[in-house]
Amino acid sequence: MLTVILQQGINGVVVGSLYVLVALGLTLIYGVLVQINFAHADIVTLGAFAAYFVTHLLSGNYFAGIAVALVVGGILGWLVNATIFLPLRERGSELLPLIATIGVSIMLQNAMLILLGPIPYAFNTPYSSQVIRFSGIFLTVQNVLIIVVSALTIALLYAFMKFTFLGKALRAVSQDRETAGLMGINPNYVIMLTFVIASALAGMSGAMLGPVLVLTPFAGTTVIVKAFAIVIIGGFGNVEGTIIAGLLVGLIESYTTQFLDPGLIDIVVFALLLLTLAVRPTGLVAEKREENV
Amino acid sequence: MLSFGIPMLSSRRFWFVMAAIVIGLLPLVFTDSYWQTNLIVCAINVLLAVGLDFVLGYAGQLNLGQSAFYGIGAYTSTLLIMNLGTPFWIAFVCGVLLSGFAGMLLSIFAVRLRGHYLAIASLGFAVITYQILLNWISLTQGPLGIYAIAPPPPLGIPGLPAIEFSNLANLFYLTAGFALCTYILLDQLVRSPIGETLTAIREDEVSAASLGINCQRWKVFAFAVSSAVAGAAGCFYASFVGTLVPDAFFITESFTILAMVIVGGMGTLIGPVLGAILLTVLPEVLRGIGDLRLIVYGVSVTLVVLFMPGGMVQAGRLIFGRLHRRAISAEAGSAP
Repeated sequence: MLTVILQQGINGVVVGSLYVLVALGLTLIYGVLVQINFAHADIVTLGAFAAYFVTHLLSGNYFAGIAVALVVGGILGWLVNATIFLPLRERGSELLPLIATIGVSIMLQNAMLILLGPIPYAFNTPYSSQVIRFSGIFLTVQNVLIIVVSALTIALLYAFMKFTFLGKALRAVSQDRETAGLMGINPNYVIMLTFVIASALAGMSGAMLGPVLVLTPFAGTTVIVKAFAIVIIGGFGNVEGTIIAGLLVGLIESYTTQFLDPGLIDIVVFALLLLTLAVRPTGLVAEKREENV
Repeated sequence: MLSFGIPMLSSRRFWFVMAAIVIGLLPLVFTDSYWQTNLIVCAINVLLAVGLDFVLGYAGQLNLGQSAFYGIGAYTSTLLIMNLGTPFWIAFVCGVLLSGFAGMLLSIFAVRLRGHYLAIASLGFAVITYQILLNWISLTQGPLGIYAIAPPPPLGIPGLPAIEFSNLANLFYLTAGFALCTYILLDQLVRSPIGETLTAIREDEVSAASLGINCQRWKVFAFAVSSAVAGAAGCFYASFVGTLVPDAFFITESFTILAMVIVGGMGTLIGPVLGAILLTVLPEVLRGIGDLRLIVYGVSVTLVVLFMPGGMVQAGRLIFGRLHRRAISAEAGSAP
């Protein structure tokens, strides 16, 4: 029994840390812009496909795949910001950019559907078949890789936000864009940078989710709805809250699969989301931003 | 309203009669079953789009849960008919009421949340509903779906032959007639003080509240009306298609409905009607190009938001406004 709980706990952390990477991107963008990028989902999917093709072309070099996915994600993020969010910023509408990115998402999904087809791709990395085993718990090298890379990325991001000038500028813009502008920070540059970082994270998490998920053009959508839930449960725009909530959702998922029914995963996660909204709309870790609640 | 100086054209009653005549003529013009099927799909989509526009365009609440209310209406009426043998119209009313009630349930969140939070809460609601439809197999038969759903029963008017709804043209008259009635009702509603109230809430909730408007109550009302309309569309959908699978009510359906409202022009009632017709007919016309047709939705939404946020209504106003001005200047030029 204990081994089952431990085993599912590890599985939960693996999936949860990938959710954290996707959700962190959403949170960062929300922090500086107070906007939601719905096309984030398709950046995840495109990252997964980029990694898939690179890995299979370069005869199994998975790390090259992750790197390419990172770059592809960053470029897409820059594009989404330049074509959608930047032109719409002057209009100051809260909902128009969200609706426009839903349009982008429909477009990208159907474009991928035409090019790649609806049949799931089998993304096998050289590491998914190597199993480490200790006292009854199974762990693939792929899982270890996911946990290590996610933890490293989160730590790097945290250090970047806390200690570098650009990271401080980013936090300054998310607290007060106008005052940050007066202090000599170019908000447009910071927002662009945030999009690139957030989307590179999405591309990279796609590369690591690819072998775990059912890889179809719609893979990102199933992840993103959970990432939205995570971002709200953790408190929008809040990095620590997002990390906690992401791991929590990962654990809920694996324990629901084990003890209840795999079909109930989304119901449990979104019931938690609605409960959070009803009871504590500021999320687990409250930030001083209350205009939406 | 564009009247070109002719008073009759600015009368709403005139346009409603015109719409009724067009609805009456359409199945006579398109006699093959392929286009008659599309006409019915159009009517159902019009219903869905005006329903969403009421809560989005007038009350300003981005509700991404419309697919859930559509599904609740469809499954409620179908299950009542198939399992309990309820007569169609009673099941229809139950489906509409339950969808409206579900909308009120969601609006418990809407009264506390705004903007993005509401968008995601409603999306979560849609995901939960979809998963329940998919996993409650003993009730909904899950992914296998429900088959052989009968069309609405024949409508007997004394002294006339019964109207069979297994006939596509008659089914179109029923759905389109219902859509027209809904449109007229919503039109009355948005032009009444209630419409003004909802618009005030959309523009500035705090100011609206300071004028003594009970924002919470009106938001609940807007959600209830909007989801009840979607529920009605669901009842018609089930009896028209004859099969129900949960995938028809996946969250992407919410996005499709949203696309129709945006492309047509949100905040007007005629806009969503035009958007629903365009986005239903255009992919059919483009069927020859293959799967490319589905991209139309994404491209049109993105372009409309970027370049013409008022949608087709704004484009129409621009074009007619220019023609009108040209006509006036031509008149002025020819005058001695």
